[in-house]
Formats: sequence, structure tokens, C-alpha cells
Amino acid sequence: MSATGWWLIALAVALVLGWYLSYSAGRLDRLHHKVESSRAALDAQLVRRAAATVEVAQLLDPVTGLLLADAASRALSAGEEDQPAPDRDPLTVPPYLEEAENDLSRALYLALDDSAAVTELQGQPLTADAIAVLAQACTRVQLARRFHNDAVAQALRVRRKRVVRWARLAGHAPLPQMIEIDDALPPALTR
Amino acid sequence: MRIGLVCPYSFDVPGGVQFHIRDLAEHLLGHGHKVSVLAPADDDTPVPDYVEAAGRAVPVPYNGSVARLTFGPVSAARVRRWLADGDFDVLHIHEPVTPSLSLLALWLATGPIVATFHTANLRSRAMQAARPLLRPSMEKISARIAVSEDARRTVVEHLGGDAVVIPNGVFVDRFAQAPTHQAWLGTAQRPTVAFVGRLDEPRKGLPVLAAAVPRVLEQCPGARFLVLGRGDGDGVLDGLGPAAGAVELLGSLTDGEKASLLRSVDVYVAPHTGGESFGIVLVEAMSAGAAVVASDLGAFARVLGDGECGVLFPVGDAAALADALVRLLGAGDDASSTVAGEARAALVERASRAVRRYDWGRVAQEVLEVYETVRLGADRVGEDPRSRTLISRWLE
Repeated sequence: MSATGWWLIALAVALVLGWYLSYSAGRLDRLHHKVESSRAALDAQLVRRAAATVEVAQLLDPVTGLLLADAASRALSAGEEDQPAPDRDPLTVPPYLEEAENDLSRALYLALDDSAAVTELQGQPLTADAIAVLAQACTRVQLARRFHNDAVAQALRVRRKRVVRWARLAGHAPLPQMIEIDDALPPALTR
Repeated sequence: MRIGLVCPYSFDVPGGVQFHIRDLAEHLLGHGHKVSVLAPADDDTPVPDYVEAAGRAVPVPYNGSVARLTFGPVSAARVRRWLADGDFDVLHIHEPVTPSLSLLALWLATGPIVATFHTANLRSRAMQAARPLLRPSMEKISARIAVSEDARRTVVEHLGGDAVVIPNGVFVDRFAQAPTHQAWLGTAQRPTVAFVGRLDEPRKGLPVLAAAVPRVLEQCPGARFLVLGRGDGDGVLDGLGPAAGAVELLGSLTDGEKASLLRSVDVYVAPHTGGESFGIVLVEAMSAGAAVVASDLGAFARVLGDGECGVLFPVGDAAALADALVRLLGAGDDASSTVAGEARAALVERASRAVRRYDWGRVAQEVLEVYETVRLGADRVGEDPRSRTLISRWLE
């Protein structure tokens, strides 16, 4: 084959490779964006859950109320506490976050264990709303976490591809992490 | 909220997915949301005013049968215009892994996208081949819903990842309060049994019922079998001989008449042999107060609470079906029909509590929770600029 022929083939290969790299980079970028959105959604739902818990805490006896309020305020401040260096990536999952959210789940589980008492709260107009808001917030935490972890799994799958690793398509973006917390609803709140 | 729903199948053909989308749209509209449904339809097909026609569906061979698809540049342009006009907060597409309008819309859109998976019988070989093709589109979905555990398992196995289970909805009260029809009401001597489903589709189980009919008549000679459904059932029913007199073909009925039928009969029977991911008719029959006898498919067992709210029999076992029917119908004399009546009442009582889980009031609320969750932290629905590739420009 003539030299021109070889050059043409080399050019074609380079073009295809270039297209594939840019396609993979675009796809990865999209997945990173999706992970950011789902994480923002999850963080917002976790804050809602903690805020709703504070509301409910005020309707209960002081012991249970204090237990809930304490766990909720820890969860609320876990996002702000230990404010790390400003360059900390918003997608990392500090261990104290999962710990605080797990503690809140456990506190809710203990506090709303008595389904008769919860049913009574649901029956009174003054308290029914707060319970309903809390139940909704807990459900949405479950949904948001599942959607987030799905997004993370998809991003990780692409990040593991050889092309992506060799060509360093992810740049300096840290590996997205799943969030593992116990988000089971207290049985009395399940509809 | 502004919600765009995409239906993969034609609205003028009856089907579970279409009914689900219609009911969801009407429920959400009734609760003050702004809803538009994009569905394959000719411009001259009459559709409800919340439905936007996306162009004609063309029959195409796919996956061993004939699929009716909407595709090509005209449809793509219509989807784009619908997305732009709708300015949706959330796009909710149904059955996105079949080649259909849903997949086209998924390819063209970006933003908060929810997808519902209805089927439990994806062909795995076809899926394996299509996986790399579908993956980039699948990655755009922010939240996946499966209508049953079975549908969810299919998603997990074939696509990876997970899905939230939100069941199909039923307007429970429409069935619970449907008027009864004198001709279909059962009596102690002449109890009635209903079957619903296409007659010429063996999967729906009419042959199993036909084999059970003579056995039931031996012990309960007055039993009447009311068969609702289109299609040609001659081949199945010819073999009945003298028992054929007990079987009455009703043809196809309106939704209201179907509700009256289920409200009037003593027993509803679902002898399906497979391929069911949910069993909406079971829930309708339970809502209407008919005692349910069903084959023990996974989806049916789950709807019936493993036999709490209805009687299960082994798939395809006509003798077991006949036994179950006789227990619930009695033998024509007063004593046995009283016992049977009590057995039915106990099932119906438990079933009518269980079906509240499937009422649209609750199901739509769960769907809205998903919408609210994906909306947070995301932009609005828009056109995906990447779909304007060289190829698609050339097509237009």
C-alpha cells in the first residue's frame, strides 16, 4: 500500500479514537453532574428529616423529645461541623455524617416505637401535620438515597473502564462514594 | 407541578400500560397538576384532550412479534416541540427499554427523568445485545420505578442498579361502588364465576379454566361461568361438550360493565400461566368484592398476600382449580352454599382491606414523592443538545 494509504488509515484511526475519547469524557461528565444533583437532593432531604424531627420532638414527653432533638441537631450540624478546608469536595462522605444520620434513624426508631401513641398523635389536628411531614421526609430520604447510590454505581462503572483510566478522563475528580445509612422508617410511620 | 408523561403504546389499543398512564394522568389532573401525555396516535384518532399525538404507530417485527412503533424525524420533531411547549418540571416515561416512543423521548430529553418499568418478561438475549446501545440513555434516568417485585427483579438483573417498587393503581371505590347487574348475580343454586382476558391467548389461562369446568359441574351443577374478553375461543370451548351450556361468552365490555361484572359475581378466577408482572385485574376483583381464585404465580401470590386474600392453586392444575372453586361455590344445597358463602366473605373481608394499598390516592402520592425527590437539585426538563448530532440533523 502506498504511503498515502497508510496515512489515511492512521488518520481514520486517530479520528475514531478522538471521537470515542470525547464521547466517553462527555458521558462521564454527565454522570458526575448527575451524582452531584442526586447528592444535593439527598442532603436536602436529610436536612428536612432532621428539621421535621425537631418539630415532632416538641410534641412528645420531655425525655423522648430531648432524645430526638439531640439526635436531630447533631445530624443538622454534622454537615457544617468540622468545617474542613475550603477545597474539600462536596461529594465526599465524611464518616461523622453517616454516623450522625444513623443515630437519628435509631432515635426515631426508639422514640416512635409505640404505634398506639403514634396513632394517637396522628389523630389530633395539632400534631397530625408534624407526624405526616416527618413520615414524608423519612420516605424521601429513602428515595433520594436509592437514586443517589444508583447514580454513583453508574459513574463508578464508567470510571473503571480502561479507556477512562488510561486517558485520565476523570481528571482530578474524586471517586464518588455511596452513602450507607440505615434509613428504615419507624414501623409506626409506614403507611 | 408540570408533568410530562410518555406512553409507549397507542391509546386506541387497550392495554395495562395505557390504562395505568391514563388513570395516573387523570388523578394528577384532578389534584391540580398540569399534565400532558405524549402517545403514539394519528392526528385523526380521537384522544382525551391531555394527550398529544406523536404520529402514527407503524407495525414492525421486533423480538419475535410485531411491535407498533413510532419513530423517524417527524416523531422526533414532535417530541422536541412537546418538550419545549410543555416546559416540564418532571418527565415520566414508561417502559423505556422497548423500542418505542419512550426510548425516543428519553434520547431527546434531559433533566429530571423518572422511568417506570412494567414488564417482568424482558427477553434476556435481546437485552444483552441492546445493552451497550441503551446504556447512555439509561444513565439519564434519575429515578427508576418498578410496578412489582417481579418487574424490579428484571430491572436489577438486566440493567443493574435498583428500582423503587410502586404498584399499579386502581380506583378502588369505582369497583367497590359499581352497580350490580341482575343477570350476573350468583344465587345459592346458580353461583357465578368470572374470567377476564383474551380468549385466544393461552397465557391468560382459558384452557385451564375450560378443563376445570366439567369437574366443577360434577359437584356444583348450577355453576355459571361468565367469560369477558375478545378473541376467538372456539377451539378451547368446543371440547366442553355438554358442559358448554354453563359457559357464557360476554365479548368485550366497557369499563363500567366490567366493574359491574366483578361486583356481581361470587368468584373471579385468574388461571394465567405466566408472563404476568402484576395482576391488576386481581386487585380490581378484590376491590369489587369478588372472591379471587388465582394460579400461584409470584406476582399473584404477592397481590393475594400468599393466600390470605384469595385462594392460590398450582399453575395449570385444572383439578386443583376445580377443587378451589367447589369450596367457594358450594354444591348447590343450602348447607354447603352457606359454608361456601362464609369462606368467600372471609376472603373478601381481608381483601377489601388489602386493596387500599393499591388505591390511586395512595399510589399517586408515592409517585409524586419520587417526582419531588428528583426535582430537587436538578434543572427543568429540556431538550438534550447531544441528540442534535450530525445524523439527526441529516435526517431532518
